[in-house]
Amino acid sequence: MEHLVRIEMVSKRYALDHSFVTALDEASLRIQSGEFLAIAGPSGSGKSTLLNLIGCLDRPSSGRILIDDIDTGTLRPVAAAALRRDKIGFVFQTFNLIPVFTAEENVEYPLLLHRMPESERRRRVAEALASVGLSDRARHRPDLLSGGERQRVAVARAIVHRPALVLADEPTANLDTKTARQLIDLMRELNRRLGLTFVFSTHDQRLLDRTDRIVRLCDGKVIEDTDDQEVRDAQVSVVGI
Amino acid sequence: MRKFLLLAFRNVFRNKRRTLMTLLVVAGGVAGLLLVGGFFSFMFWGLRESTIRNGLGHLQIFNAEHFRRDEAHVLENGLNNYQQITSIAQRAAHVRGVTARIEFYGMISNGQKSSIFMGSAVDPAKEKGMGFEPRVSAGRYLDGNAQGNEALIGAGLARSMSVKPGDGLTLLAVTADGALNGIDIDVTGIVTTGFKEMDDRLLTITLPAAQRLLQSERVTNLVVGLDRTENTDAVYAAILPQLGGSRQEVAIRKWIDLASYYKQVRTLFSGIFVFLGVIVFFMVVMSSANTLMMAMFERTREIGTMLAMGTPRSWLVGLFVTEAAITGVLAAICGVAAGVGLGALLNRSGIVLPPPPGATGGLSLRVIHEPGLMIGAAALVLITLAIASLMPAVRASRLRIVEALGHV
Repeated sequence: MEHLVRIEMVSKRYALDHSFVTALDEASLRIQSGEFLAIAGPSGSGKSTLLNLIGCLDRPSSGRILIDDIDTGTLRPVAAAALRRDKIGFVFQTFNLIPVFTAEENVEYPLLLHRMPESERRRRVAEALASVGLSDRARHRPDLLSGGERQRVAVARAIVHRPALVLADEPTANLDTKTARQLIDLMRELNRRLGLTFVFSTHDQRLLDRTDRIVRLCDGKVIEDTDDQEVRDAQVSVVGI
Repeated sequence: MRKFLLLAFRNVFRNKRRTLMTLLVVAGGVAGLLLVGGFFSFMFWGLRESTIRNGLGHLQIFNAEHFRRDEAHVLENGLNNYQQITSIAQRAAHVRGVTARIEFYGMISNGQKSSIFMGSAVDPAKEKGMGFEPRVSAGRYLDGNAQGNEALIGAGLARSMSVKPGDGLTLLAVTADGALNGIDIDVTGIVTTGFKEMDDRLLTITLPAAQRLLQSERVTNLVVGLDRTENTDAVYAAILPQLGGSRQEVAIRKWIDLASYYKQVRTLFSGIFVFLGVIVFFMVVMSSANTLMMAMFERTREIGTMLAMGTPRSWLVGLFVTEAAITGVLAAICGVAAGVGLGALLNRSGIVLPPPPGATGGLSLRVIHEPGLMIGAAALVLITLAIASLMPAVRASRLRIVEALGHV
């Protein structure tokens, strides 16, 4: 199967005072198109850093990240913005909706960036809001929506332009358990129905039970990948020792 | 584009109190500029019209020699056949009247005391018809049909000579031939010009009386009065070629060429107005830049989100500049409305300011609403706000996405 994302020995170091902090340490990963993948690990393990690097929001200190065979580290800022606009949808922990826009206007925003005709925009926005079950809340501003509804609007915004990859950084962190499960179920359904690739980070074990593949990080290293035979073998050998 | 404008418009009103404060500051600046500019316009208009009505007229016709060399004797460079030139000028459109003048000087005496006067000889009926009648504070204006030598004298000169209307004085002057001549005059009225120096020297007599005193049929110049000052250029252009056919070479001057005091005042106050404009410019820049910078900091995470979704950085610059432009348009509308409203109130208030230095009368506090000034003030704040928005706009567009998303 074709790999949508290839992460090859990627490290990310940040300067802190007069030293460096390694947020990600020679991580390697391959993500196939249509996967539903969770990146797990405790706080500070490098989950958000990894998602930021996959999402071209930041550049790796070393190593390569390829999306559809494009080395994102070599892209100029304008080209990286175009890649994000075309191929990636983002869901953030704090929803990050534009507060002065209604739900449907928020969902419409990525399509405005694509300069799509208005009729097509309307159709896609209606579809996206229907797919997250918020057609009746389309004209509401974010401050009139519950946390779960806001995050569903964010999901609709992330998928409306039919990206190859949806990245969600702790999408359930600000939601109660029931709403969090509903959101994960929604993302799972969109993954199955639309064939979208979802990569999300979480440290909530209850949500990890609902995913196909889990990549665990600790201190910036990939310590477990439930889909990676090499990592599994390495873990067996470590346990054997 | 519509959604983009909608986003900018809603962002302007996101923090209503702060936007209101910015609008108040900027609109206050616009209103202030309009009021000061409107008052200056009124002053310029008042000074212009009073300069013209005080006898300068809209156009003056001279013997061309008048501007080429100084006179050895009075009226040496005067106009000879002024009746012919008068009839040519009188035929032009917008001309209300043409009157001859003689400018001269000499000594005035009450028998015990003498003083210098600056004299002007006029045709009283024509002067009156053209609205050049001076402000007579006591007595009456000249009568052109009177048999004697009637005279108006300035209030200061009357005080110095200890005369009142009905009293007599003697004038002494050098004639056109260089001889000394004198005539007795009857003071018919005391005039005030508003300027002390003028009131201390001013004397006005009739043309026949001056011609008797100076022993000449010539006049110094012809003064042309128009229906409206705005027609000056058109009448000048119409008369100029026709005067070329007269027997004497003549020169024609517009009022603005002769009103050196008006030009000095206008230059001075225009400079003050530009200075005020610069102050308003900096006031608007500082207040709006502060507002926009605060808005940028508050929206850091939102800007990060927009950048993460692939929003071109140029869009963000455009968004901030558009928000500033919307604020500028609203402030300009509010400022112009406030300026016009306050100006109307001032015009009705009847407030009179103390006399300016050298003047004897107070100055009405009135405001002229000039469309050009309104457009200029509105354009100033629009441009100023656009400039003020550039720094926060560029800073917003250069935010590092990861840091912006983590902004609290």
